[in-house]
Amino acid sequence: MDDFLIYSGYLILLLNLILYTYSFFRKEKANVFFVLYLAFITILQFCMELMYHLRMNNLFFVNIFFVGQMVLLGLFYHSILKLKTQRLFVKLGLGLALLVLAVQFMMDYSQFLKFNLLEIVITSLLVVFFALMYLYNMLTDTRQYYYITIGLIIYLLVSTVLFLVGNLTVGLSDDLKYLTWRLNAFFVLTSYLFVLYEWKVSFNPAKKINS
Amino acid sequence: MSGSLTYEKEIVAIILYTSCFFMIVAVFLVAFFYFSRKKIIQKEVEKRDLEIHLQKEQLYAVIIAQEEERKRIAQDLHDDISSKLNIVSLNTHLLSSPNLTEAETIEITDNIINLTAKALENSRKIAHNLLPPVFEKFGLNAGVEELCEEFESSKSVKINYKNEIDFEDNNIDRHLHVFRILQELMNNSLRHGKATEINIAFKNNNEINTCTYQDNGIGFDSKNAENQKGLGMKNIDSRISFLNGTLKIDSEIGSGIAVIFTF
Repeated sequence: MDDFLIYSGYLILLLNLILYTYSFFRKEKANVFFVLYLAFITILQFCMELMYHLRMNNLFFVNIFFVGQMVLLGLFYHSILKLKTQRLFVKLGLGLALLVLAVQFMMDYSQFLKFNLLEIVITSLLVVFFALMYLYNMLTDTRQYYYITIGLIIYLLVSTVLFLVGNLTVGLSDDLKYLTWRLNAFFVLTSYLFVLYEWKVSFNPAKKINS
Repeated sequence: MSGSLTYEKEIVAIILYTSCFFMIVAVFLVAFFYFSRKKIIQKEVEKRDLEIHLQKEQLYAVIIAQEEERKRIAQDLHDDISSKLNIVSLNTHLLSSPNLTEAETIEITDNIINLTAKALENSRKIAHNLLPPVFEKFGLNAGVEELCEEFESSKSVKINYKNEIDFEDNNIDRHLHVFRILQELMNNSLRHGKATEINIAFKNNNEINTCTYQDNGIGFDSKNAENQKGLGMKNIDSRISFLNGTLKIDSEIGSGIAVIFTF
C-alpha cells in the first residue's frame, strides 16, 4: 500500500515533467520556472530514493526541497504576477527568507540535518502567500494555472504540519511512524494529480482541435 | 533527565511553530477574503456604472433625434406650407381690392386654387412621412413595400424586398421600430453610401425574426469606432435595445454594408 502510493506519486511526477517539458518546447509555452520546479523535485525524489536504498540519512534533502520549492515557486509566481507591488513583495519575501535561513544555517548548522521547523514554516507560508496573491488576481482574470495553485495550497497546508511533527515521529515505533508519511504520500499524489489536470486543461493539444 | 528535557523542548517548539503557522495562514486567508470581496464589489460597481453610462447615452441620442425631427418638421411646414399659404393670403387680399377685371379675378382664383391644392398635397406628404397610413392600416409588410416603392420611384435605386414572416397586427409598436430602422438604413445608403441596389429580407430563424439588409454603396470601416457614434447609428442601436434584439453591422470601404438584426 505504501509503496503503491509512493511509486504512483513518482510515476505521475515523471509524467508531469515529461508533459510540461513537451509543452515548454511547443508553441504554447509552459512556464519555465514551473518546469524547473518539476525537474527539481523529480531529481530530488530520485536522490532521496537512492539514499534511502543506500541506507543514508536523506533528511538534508528535505531541507533542500523546502528551500528549492520556495525559490522556484516564488520565481514562478513572480513571473506570472502582473502588478508591480506584488512582484516586489515576492522578491522581498524571497530575499528576506533566504537571508534568515542563511543566518540560521551559519549559527546552527545541525538544524539542517533534521526537520528544520523555522525553515519549513517560512518557506511554506511564503509559497501559500504567493499562491493566495495569485488567486486574488485570478478573481477577475482568466484562469491560468488555477488548478496548480489550488493543489499547491491544499498540499502545503497539510504537508507543513506533517513535516513540523516530523522530528517527533523519528522517535516513534516503526508501526506508527509511517502513518504520517503515508498521509503525506497521499497528499503529494493528490497535488501531482492537480498538476496533471492543469496540463490537461491548459496545454493539452488534443483539446485545441475540438475547440 | 536532559534527554527528556530536549524532547519536551522539541514538543513545545513544534507546538509553537504549528500554531504560529496556522495563525499566519488564518490571517492570510482573512485578508484574502476581505480583498476578494472588495475587488468583486468594485467590479460590480464598474459594470453598473458602464450600464448607466450606456443608458444615458441612449437617452441623449433619443432626445437629440427628437430635436432633429422637430427641426425637420418645422422646416417642412415652413418651406412647403407656410410659404404657399402666405401667397394664398396675399392673393385673397388682392381679390378684395376694387376695380378688378373678370380675367384678373379668374387668374387670382386659379392661383389660389392651385396653391391650396399644392399646400394640401404637401401637408399630406409631411403627414405621410411622419407615419405612413399604409403602415398603420396594413402593417409592417405593406409599409415596407410602400417604402421601397417610394424610394425606387423617386431615387435611382433598385430594391429587392423579400418577406417570409407573417407579421401580427398587435405588435405594431414593435414593428414601427423595425420600420424606422429600415427607413434610417435606406436613407443612409442613399445619402452617404450612394448605393444603387439594396436587398432587404425578413426571415424567421428558429422562432427569431431576423432582418438582413445589404447595399452596394461605398461602405465604411466598421472597425473604426468613429463610425459607430453617428446619431443615426445610435438611434438604430437604441431601437434594437428596445426590441431586445441583436445588431450586427459589417462593412468595408468599397464593398457596401451588411446589417443583420433580430427583433
